[in-house]
Amino acid sequence: MSVTALPRVSPRRRRTDKVMRSLLLVATLIALVPLVFIIYYLLHKGLSAVTSSGFFSTDPNGNFFGNPGGIRSAILGTLEMIALATAISVPVGIAVALYLTEYGKESKFANVIRYFVDVMTGVPSIVFGLFIYIVLVISKIGGAFTGWKGAVAISLLMLPIVIRSSEVVLLLVPSSLREAALALGAPRWRVMLRVVLPTSLSGLVTGSLLAVARGMGETAPLLFTAAGAFALTGNLGAQMNALPIQIYNDIQSPRNAITARAWGAGLTLVALVLIINVIARIASRRSRMA
Amino acid sequence: MQEVRHSYREALRDLEKQALGGLDLVTQALDRALESVSYQDVELAGMVVADDDRIDGRYLEVHQGVLSLLARQAPVASDLRILAALLHIIRCVERMGDQCVNIAKLVPLSGYESPKDKDILDSIERMGRHARSQVTQARDAFSSRNVELAQDLVRQDAEINRLNRAIFKRAVEIGDDVDTREWAMFMILVARALERVGDNTVDIAEQVVFVVTGLFREVSDSTPAADAVRPA
Amino acid sequence: MIPPETTSKETTTDMSTERWQSDRTEAAAEAKESSAQDAKGHGVNIEALNAYYGDQLAVKNFSIAFPANEVTALIGPSGSGKSTVVRCINRMHEEIPGARAEGSVALDGMNVYEDGVDVTSVRRLIGMVFQKPNPFPTMSVFDNVAAGLRLTGARGINLRERVHRALRAVGLWDEVKNRLDKPGTGLSGGQQQRLCIARTVAVEPEVILMDEPCSALDPVATLKIEELIDELKDRYTIVIVTHNMQQAGRVADSTAFMLEGELIEHGPTTKIFTNPNDERTERYVTGKFG
Repeated sequence: MSVTALPRVSPRRRRTDKVMRSLLLVATLIALVPLVFIIYYLLHKGLSAVTSSGFFSTDPNGNFFGNPGGIRSAILGTLEMIALATAISVPVGIAVALYLTEYGKESKFANVIRYFVDVMTGVPSIVFGLFIYIVLVISKIGGAFTGWKGAVAISLLMLPIVIRSSEVVLLLVPSSLREAALALGAPRWRVMLRVVLPTSLSGLVTGSLLAVARGMGETAPLLFTAAGAFALTGNLGAQMNALPIQIYNDIQSPRNAITARAWGAGLTLVALVLIINVIARIASRRSRMA
Repeated sequence: MQEVRHSYREALRDLEKQALGGLDLVTQALDRALESVSYQDVELAGMVVADDDRIDGRYLEVHQGVLSLLARQAPVASDLRILAALLHIIRCVERMGDQCVNIAKLVPLSGYESPKDKDILDSIERMGRHARSQVTQARDAFSSRNVELAQDLVRQDAEINRLNRAIFKRAVEIGDDVDTREWAMFMILVARALERVGDNTVDIAEQVVFVVTGLFREVSDSTPAADAVRPA
Repeated sequence: MIPPETTSKETTTDMSTERWQSDRTEAAAEAKESSAQDAKGHGVNIEALNAYYGDQLAVKNFSIAFPANEVTALIGPSGSGKSTVVRCINRMHEEIPGARAEGSVALDGMNVYEDGVDVTSVRRLIGMVFQKPNPFPTMSVFDNVAAGLRLTGARGINLRERVHRALRAVGLWDEVKNRLDKPGTGLSGGQQQRLCIARTVAVEPEVILMDEPCSALDPVATLKIEELIDELKDRYTIVIVTHNMQQAGRVADSTAFMLEGELIEHGPTTKIFTNPNDERTERYVTGKFG
């Protein structure tokens, strides 16, 4: 077939292109709408509470009348419990992922573990809370309702997420790097520590972040374990307050000031997650440059 | 199974055909040169000299073809040996062509009367026939890669050498007639040229053995310097 | 005078010249011998090697001797087992799940497959360069070259000196001396491969294995590395797997041809490429089959 002039785009093709683009754009906008609304409402309803004096510096005081107080204990409680939960779930999770990718590989045992991890990601968070409630709270090990038990419940929730995302990232490390390190005469554990982990670091951090963000917002497990208290306490061995619990309690109140506080707490929670995201992103970029 | 490196194999085959075709040109030149000697045909001799251009042209063609294949196809093993052999063979072809020219050039020099001595003429004609059959045999030995046929050439060449010595002896004893003596001297040179043609076929035989076995065994004529009279 | 008969050439040697020359070189030879012992190379001897991938036998009863301080090339069509053989020499083959090897691979007479031998020490003595350059992405140029020493836990050595020496040995020093702290992945392909060779050489092995080291490189980079191989053989025994027969011709002292897991022919490179013994070798090198 010989061509005298290059064929031009047909009008019908152009129309189809346009229709497709518009459809996809519409879908994107639809997906964005709830997000926009959430942010709007958070700001609209919560800004007044957040900017009110003493919001971050006072604890909720449970008074029926007058100033209901801020959310200081809730923030601190959340931070403490999440920190402990992260300290438990991230190292354990990464270690399990390392086992699965470096040693277990395709063995039957490894596949069984993977299966159970997948199951765990689907377990409702309230079940974790219930589990810890029965095992640790009722049995009164180390106290009744305590902050650290809440942290444990949250770490169980975070664990499968950390394992799954870490395994994906570790598998992305090219086997040629492992081979190169092994061929130099490095023992397997050094290969993992000095080559595999540093290479996948940014991905591991991102994966753990997902888990942290998830854990921060979970209410149900905390209800049975940390139970929530109003007073500020740094003691993980006692009942602790947390932002989700605070929101849960406050939103049910008839008082406007308190519901406003709930919105403020929600806004704070979202802001916290955002900040942590940004920090971790900076950290991972730094580690890649090194 | 479809042949891999098709165009390369074809080029190699064609090049071999060209080189061996050169031997056909030599046979032709040899026939004519000998005829011109037998019948003192100066015109025919002139044709031999003129047609040597064809042989020289064939040499250049094959030489260029070998270089081209070496540069572009990186031949190895038996292919490489064949190409090395073809270079050698086409050189022999060119030399044999030159020997035919030498013979042809002697025809007008040896006079316009009929040949003087029957014995010498017979021997020359026998040498000629031998040389011709050796050229054909060399061609067959190479194209069929036949080592036995090649080694037989060495044996046959002994006959040419014997005839060469016989002619020399006869020429020495030819007698007192100046014309006859002169004619006999020219015949010695013709014999010498034919002997060289024989040597070249032995060279080709060596190449056959080299291509087939990868070993080079020289069966050569170590001619002392004093005896080397090479008409240009 | 009678024309001489056909005779065969004789070779004669001038005996007097020979004796005079030998006297002069005797003293030099004595001096050389004492230093030759120190510079003694390390040969590898493989005997009856059988390598499996699961149940599939990939290398069949393979025996060969790699002479010290020489370059031996392994050629053959895809799937002939060349890479497998080479990976058996430094015991990388068994890193593949389900893969195993039987037989003996002796370095200076010591079998690396003997019971209880530490695999990592074998790999420190037998280094490997891979087809695709694989510098560690999170490490600088300096760290990459030092990686071999650090990963093997080498102590009490002057790291800087070793790294600089290795970079000089591969001819990379001038090109990277001002950017030792920049990432190793910022170099060109040819430079990266030389970096990997420097990494291997820094560990000071006795044998260097190369698995198609130039296939991913352009012709100029390839020639530079071939030049390097020629220099390296003074100090190391080198085995190179290559698909490129002209490369084997340029680089190798001796060449071995493999077909379907078996050794077909092994001999000086010139012989293999001018007059091989085996019909199959002939067919492969002349390209009568792929």
